[in-house]
Amino acid sequence: MTGKHRSGQAGDQPGQGPAGAEEAGKGMATCPDGHTSASSDFCDVCGMRIGASASAAAEAPAAPPQEQPQPPEPAEPCPHCGAARSGRFCESCGFDFDPGSRERTIEGVIIPPPATGPAPPAVPAEPAVPAEPAAAGAPVAWTAVVGSDHAYFEDVVAAGGPDAATLAFPDYCPERRFRLAGPEMRIGRRSLSQGLEPEIDLTGPPTDPGVSRLHAALIAEPDGSWAILDPGSENGTLVNGTEIAAGVRVPLHDGDRIHLGAWTMITIHAN
Amino acid sequence: MSEPDFTVEIYQNEYLPEGGRDVNAVVTVATAGTVSAAPAAAASSAEIIIVDCSGSMNAPPSKIAEARAATAAAVDVIRDGVAFAVIAGTHQAAAIFPADGGLAVADPQTRESAKRAVAGLRPGGGTAIGQWLWLAHRMFTSHPAQLRHAILLTDGKDEHESSEDLGTAISLCEGVFSCDCRGVGTDWEVAELRRISTALLGSVDIVPDPAGLAADFSDMMAAAMGKQVADVSLRIWTPQHASIQFVKQVAPAVEDLTGRRTGSGPQAGDYPTGAWGTGESRDYHLGVQVAAAGAVGQEMLAARVSLVTASPSGPEVLGQGLVRAIWTDEEALSTRIDQHVAHYTGQEELAQVIQEGLEARKEGDEDTATAKLGRAVALAHQSGNEDTAKLLAKVVDVVDAATGTVSLKKKVADADEMALDTRSVKTVRTKK
Repeated sequence: MTGKHRSGQAGDQPGQGPAGAEEAGKGMATCPDGHTSASSDFCDVCGMRIGASASAAAEAPAAPPQEQPQPPEPAEPCPHCGAARSGRFCESCGFDFDPGSRERTIEGVIIPPPATGPAPPAVPAEPAVPAEPAAAGAPVAWTAVVGSDHAYFEDVVAAGGPDAATLAFPDYCPERRFRLAGPEMRIGRRSLSQGLEPEIDLTGPPTDPGVSRLHAALIAEPDGSWAILDPGSENGTLVNGTEIAAGVRVPLHDGDRIHLGAWTMITIHAN
Repeated sequence: MSEPDFTVEIYQNEYLPEGGRDVNAVVTVATAGTVSAAPAAAASSAEIIIVDCSGSMNAPPSKIAEARAATAAAVDVIRDGVAFAVIAGTHQAAAIFPADGGLAVADPQTRESAKRAVAGLRPGGGTAIGQWLWLAHRMFTSHPAQLRHAILLTDGKDEHESSEDLGTAISLCEGVFSCDCRGVGTDWEVAELRRISTALLGSVDIVPDPAGLAADFSDMMAAAMGKQVADVSLRIWTPQHASIQFVKQVAPAVEDLTGRRTGSGPQAGDYPTGAWGTGESRDYHLGVQVAAAGAVGQEMLAARVSLVTASPSGPEVLGQGLVRAIWTDEEALSTRIDQHVAHYTGQEELAQVIQEGLEARKEGDEDTATAKLGRAVALAHQSGNEDTAKLLAKVVDVVDAATGTVSLKKKVADADEMALDTRSVKTVRTKK
């Protein structure tokens, strides 16, 4: 009932590289089904007991292997799936290498997919890290810091838009920093259905209901500075408290404050 | 440092009826020695303590105070020479010790400096656990230690990142370090921490009262200090065309490893078991379906279970056991169920019906909840799982434990429900 087997039984380890079972005969055991096996207790391929009846073997400890496996010769590929041969049957598709019995065995054989492990986890890009201060002499680093502004929120509610009564200021809003890079940085909320992934993604929680999916864009100017452009968002965009015209580039400077939505404030840092 | 001696034992009824194809076995893996035996060479170990410092840790203020004390207590248990660090987690992660973002080598001075840094922890901010894991991953991988372990403490939900963000961070850390998770109070989510602890081969538990944290932290750290062999896997070879139905750790707690297979050669796959110390024993339940039943009297190997660990010269085999199948026409042989297999099948069902019963209760489906939790009471009673029976009795009124006749309690403390949920996976051993 209890099998207790300890380590160190050389040659008794299937599944550690190409099974050294190619060469029939010398140094290898052969199971009742004709597989050659490096292990001499049970067949490496089909698991059948080698050279002993069930009753005789039932309580016997696994016999140590009598011979070491031979170095494998270049394996004959399976004509059906190309896997290296290690016995009478292909280990990946079950193809029978014995021509005499091919017709009767290949018929009705269920071909399983090749055994593969789970895909390795995708290594994602580095997460956003707080911008470090630029070294002296380095080009100016531009950063957009996203936060919330209660005074602005009160102004929005006081203005009494159609949804003003339903708006709530978030209890807690983490500060999010985005290093400005590339030709443009879109500000919005990601949308799987629209395939939209803005570089400055304001998807929460908390999510500002007044921010459009594509609300505005920060655009890199040839001189290295940045400008903002609102393409015509539903609720508009303010720079330093003044609403900007749709479709017009407005240059940005260090310390500029951009307000959008119900409570979102983006502060621009250039240093 | 000498590695502990591993033993592998197989418990099964190897006799199958004519036409039978399903083979079940319990694999017991144990290491020799006592838990307090000589510890591992310290240089190969690394520990990171991750403490939630979100704003809610200040409500009540005793929570952050006890978290500081618990972290300091755990730091005290870290052996000289072990590389360690402390991370403060909010919607971001900050290395608070050592300040350079690497790992410090434990000695009396560094432990004192770490405790000074911990004493300065102030709550404020949100919760993005994925960020904490990212930083821990970066710090661990900057160091050559083989045994990498983290303790993660939180009091709230993972609110300031998406579930996918957390998933990405978890899969990055899988296989890199193990992580024991603790939830303090009752505002955190069991499923969330279980997701982390399961993937990272650690434990999850509730510490309802912050005052219990320090003892728990020192215990966890002491257990981690006892580990000696990293990254041990169960390598399971099965015969051609056989399918592995499941591989589960069943003691000391139920953890399904079936989906964790990594191919390791023809007809063989590896399932992670994590790190091992001396004097440990764990049980695994294996289900294999062979491709075709053999003739009466025929014997085959249904699985060869090896215990392997990585070594500089390739995989090293620490132990091995054989799961066999013998076909017989004697019903007296084939109808027996091995007592270990029967016991753990019951313990697995116990964990499952508790989780399903609690879920049904949350959804207001009282009939299902009563049936499932009643079944759980009966299973706990039969198997002598007294700890689980006690936890169940806080959620249901037991009329008759033997038959599982129960009624749902009208008022259940959140902490009791969460304790039952987190500890539902804990099993009792069979009496051998």
